Amino acid sequence: MDAKTENNLRREHIDSFGRLMAGLAHDMKNHLSIIRESNGLMADIIAMGTLGEDPTMVERLQKSIAAIERRVVISANMMHHLSGLAHRSDTPYSSFLINDLIEEEHIFLERFSRLQQIEIELELGEGLPAVYSEPSLLQYILHRVYSQCLEQLDSGQRLAIITETATKGVMITFRLYGNSQINFEQFSSATLPIAIQKLKGTLEMGKNSPEYSDIVFTIPSLSDKE
Amino acid sequence: MIKSEVLIIDDEIEFASTLCQRLKLRGVAAVDVHSGTEGIASLTKMNLGIVLLDLKMPDMNGLDVLKKIIEYDPSIEVIMLTGHGSSDSGVEAKEKGAFDYVMKPLDITELMDIIESADNKRCKEQVSYGCKNGK
Repeated sequence: MDAKTENNLRREHIDSFGRLMAGLAHDMKNHLSIIRESNGLMADIIAMGTLGEDPTMVERLQKSIAAIERRVVISANMMHHLSGLAHRSDTPYSSFLINDLIEEEHIFLERFSRLQQIEIELELGEGLPAVYSEPSLLQYILHRVYSQCLEQLDSGQRLAIITETATKGVMITFRLYGNSQINFEQFSSATLPIAIQKLKGTLEMGKNSPEYSDIVFTIPSLSDKE
Repeated sequence: MIKSEVLIIDDEIEFASTLCQRLKLRGVAAVDVHSGTEGIASLTKMNLGIVLLDLKMPDMNGLDVLKKIIEYDPSIEVIMLTGHGSSDSGVEAKEKGAFDYVMKPLDITELMDIIESADNKRCKEQVSYGCKNGK
């Protein structure tokens, strides 16, 4: 199989996964909608006071209803981002906000940081310019860098993700606190540098303070011709 | 108090009927139907002011139903219900004449606020006979 055919096959492969994921996310939202409405109806009925006068029972039910509501909201937010991710490759190039992608990646990786007991801090700059680039590939880069950072940290350590305006684009700093022995080579291996190069971005690493090390990814806004 | 009658058009029967009950508990005169075709047929049977319309249904696309509603009576305010990952489809519906859109799963407080705004708009424009008559 030549490289072009293999590339097309891979693209179709990813597209079909995307469609599958989008459909599932949409169906899950429908299920969550029914759960939320049914739960809300129970809350409404309790609020009407028709269930009797036992305040302990009413309080128990209200707590359960509130817990279901909280979890539905969290799940719906995850499904919303999953659906966004599934549709990401629909438009190869577009204008988007880096902070939205970072927040989305944070939601997807929150479980892993929680299991590893790593504290995540998002310091997202306000009023950052929209970037014109390839959102799907950029998401892959952010995912790789973010997950590599988590691998480099231990329980109780901290990762801060800072976004700010850079010349013709946006700068994303992954600041790793607490580990003095960061293996920077991990960030230069495999396909990550090729992906960064394709988006004309840069990745710089260094120990800039006794307390932390920085992985700095700068992404420019491309013109339509690029 | 919401003066307009509200029609819910959504193919998810459990969702539509539960939402209908919740609106009724809040004093809204609401009816639910479960397909685009049924929704269009209901337009002539009700003194309708507001429609809550699902964007994706098996028999008809929500945007096509929106077009039919506007053709029938442009004073009816349509609020789209969307389960999409982005707000693009909701924005598109607004461009095509919808009053607003809400993402599923719904926040009932947010939905009631939007219904109230749509109802106020109808009252201000004195299009609704119910409002004119002070019902």
